[in-house]
Amino acid sequence: MRIVLSWLAEYIDVKESPRDLAQALTMAGIAVESVSEELGETIFERDITANRPDAMNHLGVARELAAIFGRQIRKPEIHLREDARPAAACASIAIAAPDLCPRYVGRVAVDVKVGPSPDWMRQRLELCGVRSINNVADITNYVLLEAGHPTHAFDLDTLEGAKIIVRRAEAGERLITLDGVERALLPEHLVIADARRPVALAGIMGGAETEISGRTRNVLIESAWFEPASIRKTARHFGMHTEASHRFERGADIEATTWAAARIAALLQQLASATVLKGAIDAYPAPRQRSAILLRAAAVMRYLGIEIAAVEIESILCSLGFRVERLDGAWQVTPPPARLDVEREIDVIEEIARIYGYERFPARLPAWAGRAEITDDSRKQRQMRDVARALGYDETISLSFLSRSEAAQFGAWEPVAVRNPLSELQSVMRNSAVPGLLRAVEWNLNRGQTDVRLFEIGRLYRQEGSEFAELPVMGLVATGRARPASLNDPGKLYDFFEMKADVAKLLDLFGWKNLYFDRETGAGYYHPGRSARAVADGYAAGRFGELSPEVAAERKLRQPVWLAEICLDRLFRLPLREPRFRPLPRVPAVDRDFSLLLPEGTRFEDIVAAVGAREHLVRLEPVEIFRGGQAPPGKMSLLLRAVWQRDDASLTDEEVNQYAREILDALRKLGAEQRA
Amino acid sequence: MAELAADSAAIEGLYQELRELFERELADARDPEHLKKLRDRWLGRKNGLLSFTNDHWLKPASREWKPLVGKLQNSLKSAVEKAIQEAEAARAQPVRSEPAVDVTLPGPPRIIGARHPIRIVQEDIESIFGSMGYSIAEGPEIESDYYNFEALNFPENHPARDAMDTIFLTDHALLRTHTSPNQVRIMERQPPPLRYLVPGKVYRNDAPDASHSPMFHQVEGFAVDENITFCDLKGTLEHFLKQFFGSNIRTRFRPSFFPFTEPSAEVDISCHVCGGAGCRVCKQSGFIEVLGCGMIDPAVYRYVGYDPERYSGFAFGMGLDRIAMLKYGINDIQLFFQGDVRFLRQFR
Repeated sequence: MRIVLSWLAEYIDVKESPRDLAQALTMAGIAVESVSEELGETIFERDITANRPDAMNHLGVARELAAIFGRQIRKPEIHLREDARPAAACASIAIAAPDLCPRYVGRVAVDVKVGPSPDWMRQRLELCGVRSINNVADITNYVLLEAGHPTHAFDLDTLEGAKIIVRRAEAGERLITLDGVERALLPEHLVIADARRPVALAGIMGGAETEISGRTRNVLIESAWFEPASIRKTARHFGMHTEASHRFERGADIEATTWAAARIAALLQQLASATVLKGAIDAYPAPRQRSAILLRAAAVMRYLGIEIAAVEIESILCSLGFRVERLDGAWQVTPPPARLDVEREIDVIEEIARIYGYERFPARLPAWAGRAEITDDSRKQRQMRDVARALGYDETISLSFLSRSEAAQFGAWEPVAVRNPLSELQSVMRNSAVPGLLRAVEWNLNRGQTDVRLFEIGRLYRQEGSEFAELPVMGLVATGRARPASLNDPGKLYDFFEMKADVAKLLDLFGWKNLYFDRETGAGYYHPGRSARAVADGYAAGRFGELSPEVAAERKLRQPVWLAEICLDRLFRLPLREPRFRPLPRVPAVDRDFSLLLPEGTRFEDIVAAVGAREHLVRLEPVEIFRGGQAPPGKMSLLLRAVWQRDDASLTDEEVNQYAREILDALRKLGAEQRA
Repeated sequence: MAELAADSAAIEGLYQELRELFERELADARDPEHLKKLRDRWLGRKNGLLSFTNDHWLKPASREWKPLVGKLQNSLKSAVEKAIQEAEAARAQPVRSEPAVDVTLPGPPRIIGARHPIRIVQEDIESIFGSMGYSIAEGPEIESDYYNFEALNFPENHPARDAMDTIFLTDHALLRTHTSPNQVRIMERQPPPLRYLVPGKVYRNDAPDASHSPMFHQVEGFAVDENITFCDLKGTLEHFLKQFFGSNIRTRFRPSFFPFTEPSAEVDISCHVCGGAGCRVCKQSGFIEVLGCGMIDPAVYRYVGYDPERYSGFAFGMGLDRIAMLKYGINDIQLFFQGDVRFLRQFR
């Protein structure tokens, strides 16, 4: 909301520069976003927190300044010459829903000359962003911006029976509001009705049929107080947000109703040559009393951490309009009626802190006798991040949303739907890490970035009955070169074994006892011949491989893309592998190479299994595999290296020869023959 | 004696012959490869000529001849060693005159993946608070109305809910709009004293633009104990901000409103671009808002069963995306979520 400095200055002496004033207000919690000049006036643009409806007007801001600078405010004086005829004789007010409307004040002005407002009023309204309509409507808006109470003016002659009934709507009732929209009312909506029909949506917007027009002669001024939650519910139901609803739903001042009605009446008299009838019709069946709050000096000290002198506390509260009565080590405090936000001792303490000045509190560090903990999962995640980065993957973060079709294509379960999605692309919660990574690869390829390696650690979402599960997952994606090109080196393209090595390195962080790889990925978007599943201690820890060429073609990916998904919820049940020291061998290891011909289709795992565990054999590694050429059809050629190591002594040539013969014997059972 | 003299001449002759042989061979050894062969032939430990003479001439020599043979053997050996060494050094000379490498050529790329800027900021914040005794925890992103709003003192139909446009999944489930629900979740489980830091993703139904994203990140921190005061809140956050942004920044606490803290504050730091003089980044104010905080409202303690007369505490929350944008001068929040390697690699 906007505050016009010259208008503000009508209610309080302003000696400070606009910038200093803005600063003082900001530091007291009445944030001034910007100070600008418009039509020769200084304007404060403000951002008002929901707890301070009382400061959403010029008089309210003046009250704050009065507290900050210790000055007096000047409330506008009301010069009203009432006619002898009583208002109550011309109109009646009945509250049928006192739970939603505890007070309704009406005033009647007759012989009103509807016309344009004077220039000064139009300019003030425009500076505050309110369009000028006619003098009657403008006066109600002016008083709203001046003192904060929302009011409404009815054309009295259009009110059936000159009656106001505040009641809940009846099913089937309809109302055309001032914005021209016809609204179907429900019984939970509070309306202002005349003898026959609803004429206004209470506290939100008036009705078109009872609007002030050029023909209007007599006016009923409404100045009421409505229950905030009810206003908010109704406004939200209709998708409406008005100056009135904004204030009523935050809490207006119930005691300001009579003042606001009188102020409007006086202005109608002054600016629309109206005759104001005698008295206000005040329907206030159960006057509200604000109860006093006990403020203990010890509590002020306990929350704020410093002792503030009793006189200073009293002076702060009095300057804010609180009634303060001193007790022994405490006070009885009654907040002003506009301050609905102050109900408890802590609310009063906040007022003291705010006006005392946050900058005056010293900075201290609290003593601490507790302990800090890092969860296992966060330690594991951190290690996985470090390894992935060491493997050359950049960390990415994708949105947690997917489109329905992505979720169907890549997810293993029905995704959790978003009830109010921003777009179809974000209509469900992700059930797979893959689409986000693919979107990132596409993004990069479309921008000429062809070597991409990304990883993400995040959650997948699943509904389980009435509960939701959030499953931690790690996704990796790679495309282009594994080793980038450099001087005299064309680099090396990413392939299956690059991805397998990356996944294995990540899994190596964990203390599994048994890990194997098979081809059961269970996901159709992988290339069937170039994908695998990793199984650690009997549980599927992850899967990886090339994106299937069909999916790649659908997505117009022009180069192979490699994916990996690691289920962290399973994996994180395993402990991190703890390094364990073994004495260093005193003699070097010995190795022998075997040049073998094997039946096509023999898997390396079969070879390892056929050799089995043997004394001093520490490693079997494939050195070279080729097909064709010197290898006859149906056979593949494998250069296999065995490495032996004995901790306590050197192995003799005879021993190694014997071991090598034994290995060859074992491999013959697989159909292996030694090449010449 | 004559015989002896004659024999000594014979022995010296033999060594002389060897010496001449070596000199001829040395003269022929023109390149490092020949030199190595020469070294092996003469000085080889097992099969070298000088090992042979040592084993077959010196060792079996009788006592009276031993000093002479020993002297000749040693002198030849040291001469051979010296000559080969010199020759090797001389042959090595040309290497030094080879053209030097162009040290300005780049080496092959070494790739270490980048930490995401949000993660960098998150981990920095975690380590600063970790050293002040804060534990790190996480919480669910799919929340109930109870934890996201009600227990944080946002009554139903309260306008304070307007500030957070909520994404709903069902009647009862929503995506958390802030990380604050974890205050309640942790306090429910555990009595004071507590110090916790909870980072994570949060969601609001905001259309994406340069400063909005339906998903972003926050970190929530809070401390509850006996005797925690507003001064402790100020001291803790001032310490953090100076550690994080640099000791030369100034901080400013101004009153604000959050339903779950009271008194509440927003904290600004002096603008890192203009140093506080006023510029476009800080909208001429000299200050930039970085976090919200306050003393935990006693109403929250009611929900978790703490005695508000005994315990007090503070809470604070900040947007990791916003902090990362400030720290690195990033002008578009969307960059965080696109996976563009040209962006990410700037943080390698």
